[in-house]
Amino acid sequence: MLFKKNVMIPEYYEFFNSVKVISGYKALETIPFELGRLGAKRPIIITDKGVSQAGLIKHVVDSFAGTDTVVGAIFDETPQDSSNVVVNQIAAIYRAQNCDSIIAVGGGSAIDTAKGVNIVITENTDDLLKFMGNYRLNKPMKPFVVIPTTAGTGSEVTMVAVIANPEKNVKMAFTSDLLLPKFTVLDPRMTASMPPKITAATGMDALTHAVEAYIGPQKNPISDAFAAAAMELIRNNIVAAVKDGANKDVRLAMANAALLAGLAFSNSMVGIVHATAHATGGVCHVPHGIANSILLPYGLEFYVGKSPKVKEDIESLLLHLAGPEVYVQTPPAERAAKTIAAIRNLTAELKKLSGLPVRLSETGVTEDKLERIAQTALNDGAVAFSPVEVSLMEALGVLKAAY
Amino acid sequence: MKSVSVYKEIVPGKKWFATLVTRIFFFFIGMGMQTAYRIDPEVKKEVDSWPETFSFRMAVVGGPSMLMLKKEGSFQYLGEKEAFYSDVEMWFKNISFAYLIMTGRISVPNAIYHNRQFVKGNLAYGMSVIRVLNVVQTLLLPNVIARFYIKEVPKLTFQKMINRVITYINIGYGAIK
Repeated sequence: MLFKKNVMIPEYYEFFNSVKVISGYKALETIPFELGRLGAKRPIIITDKGVSQAGLIKHVVDSFAGTDTVVGAIFDETPQDSSNVVVNQIAAIYRAQNCDSIIAVGGGSAIDTAKGVNIVITENTDDLLKFMGNYRLNKPMKPFVVIPTTAGTGSEVTMVAVIANPEKNVKMAFTSDLLLPKFTVLDPRMTASMPPKITAATGMDALTHAVEAYIGPQKNPISDAFAAAAMELIRNNIVAAVKDGANKDVRLAMANAALLAGLAFSNSMVGIVHATAHATGGVCHVPHGIANSILLPYGLEFYVGKSPKVKEDIESLLLHLAGPEVYVQTPPAERAAKTIAAIRNLTAELKKLSGLPVRLSETGVTEDKLERIAQTALNDGAVAFSPVEVSLMEALGVLKAAY
Repeated sequence: MKSVSVYKEIVPGKKWFATLVTRIFFFFIGMGMQTAYRIDPEVKKEVDSWPETFSFRMAVVGGPSMLMLKKEGSFQYLGEKEAFYSDVEMWFKNISFAYLIMTGRISVPNAIYHNRQFVKGNLAYGMSVIRVLNVVQTLLLPNVIARFYIKEVPKLTFQKMINRVITYINIGYGAIK
C-alpha cells in the first residue's frame, strides 16, 4: 500500500533536487557572480539557431558586461534532435577555447546536448555510448547552468538527457543526479518571444508533468506540493501567455510552473501519457508537448476505467485544475469526469487561440503507425511508473481513442 | 575532555538470516529465469530481443548477487559469479530492503517507487527484464502470493500450472546439482 489508510504519507519515499533556482526580472545578471562562486570564469554557451536569431543570446552575453567573466565560445548550431556528433564537436570547441563551464540556453535539445558535452568533457571521452543508461556516471561534473527559453520541459531540474546516435541508430538515455545543473535562471525575457502555438504546447507539457506526478505511484508530500503549485500557476496563466506573450508576469509564472512541474515529475515520475507521447515522438516525430497535450485526457480516462485508487487521485486533481469553487460544487462521483473535461476545455480553447492539435490524426500520425507506437511505449521507462499495469492492447486503446 | 583513544571504530553487524533468505530467493529467481526462457513464449520473445552475451545482474549493495547470461541460444543462471560489467543491473540499496521484498512485505513495484532499489544500465532493456521477472514470479508463486510482488497477476491456466511444475522440478534439479 502506497499510503497508509487515512494518513496521506507514503511509508517510504526519497526526494532529491540540488539545483539553485534564480527567478525574476533581470535574473540573468546574476550569472557571472554565481559562476564565480563555482570557480568558473570562462563558460561556453550552447544554444540553437532559433534562440540566437531571436536575439536571446544577447541578453545572456550582456549580463557579463562589467565583470571579468569571459564567454569562451558560443555554439548556436544545436540541431532539433541532439546527437553524439554535435556533442563531440562542441566538446572540441570547449577544449580549444579553454572553457571551464557550460551554459545551456534553449529548450530540451540544447539542454540535453549541453548535458552530453558535460559527460564527454568530465569523463574525457568521445564515446557517449559507454555511459548510456541509469547511474553509469560517477565523476563530479563541470559547472553547468541552464537558462530555459521554453516553459515546458522542466529539463533545468531533471537528471535525464536523451541524445541520438545516428550511426548506431539508437537514442541514448542518460540518467544521473550528476547531470543536474548547479543553478538555473528563469528570466521572463527568455520566453517572451515564444510563438502562441509553442507557448500552448510547452505549457501543456508542463501541465502533463504536474498531473502525472500528482497521480503517480511514487508521489510524495513534496512532489505533491510542487505539482499542485505548478497546476495552479498553469491554470491561471497559460491562456494569458498564449494571448499576450509580451506580458512578463505571465511569462515568469509559466516558467516557474514548468520548473515546479519538473521538480515534481523528476521525483514522482510520469506514466502512460508520457510513455505513449515519447513513443509518438519517436515513431512519428510529433513534438513532445503536442503529443502530451493530446494524450493527457485519454491517459486519465484509461486510469479512471482501470483503477479506483488512481480515480481518487484524479478526483482530487480537480481542485488544482479547475479551482476551489468548481471542486466544492462538483459531487465526488463526478469529479474525475470533470477533471478530464476541464483539461479538454483548456486544450479546446488553446486550439482556438493557437491551432494546438487535439487529436493525433491532426499531427500527421497515420492509423497504421499506432501499433508500432504502442509497442515502443511498452519499452519506455515511464511504463514502470504507471500506477497500473499497461498491456499492448491497452496502450493501443489509448492511442486509438486519441486518434 | 575524553582522550582520543577512547573513540573506537564500530564494525557493522551481520544480517546473516536476511542474507541467507535473499540468497535463496536469488537462486529461485535465477533458476526460474533460466527455465522460463525454455518454456514460456513471452519470456523467450523478450530474451531473444536482447543482444548476444547480454548479462543481467541482481544484487544487494555489499551483499549477495546473481548473474544471468544470454549466450549461444541459452539464458544461463551463473550464481554469484562476479562480472566487471552487466548490461542491466538491479540493485537493492540495503540487505534489509531486499529481505522485505523477498519476504513479500514490500511488492517489487513499490520497492521501485520507493527508490529502495534502482536499475543501472539501458532502461529499455531494463523494462524488458522487469517484464521477464514478472512472468518468472507468476511461475514461482501461487497467484494469491504473486499479487504481493507484481502489479497484475495473469489468469491461471492449465499451461501455466504445467510450467510451474516444470520450473520447480528444474529448481530442485539445480539445487541438487
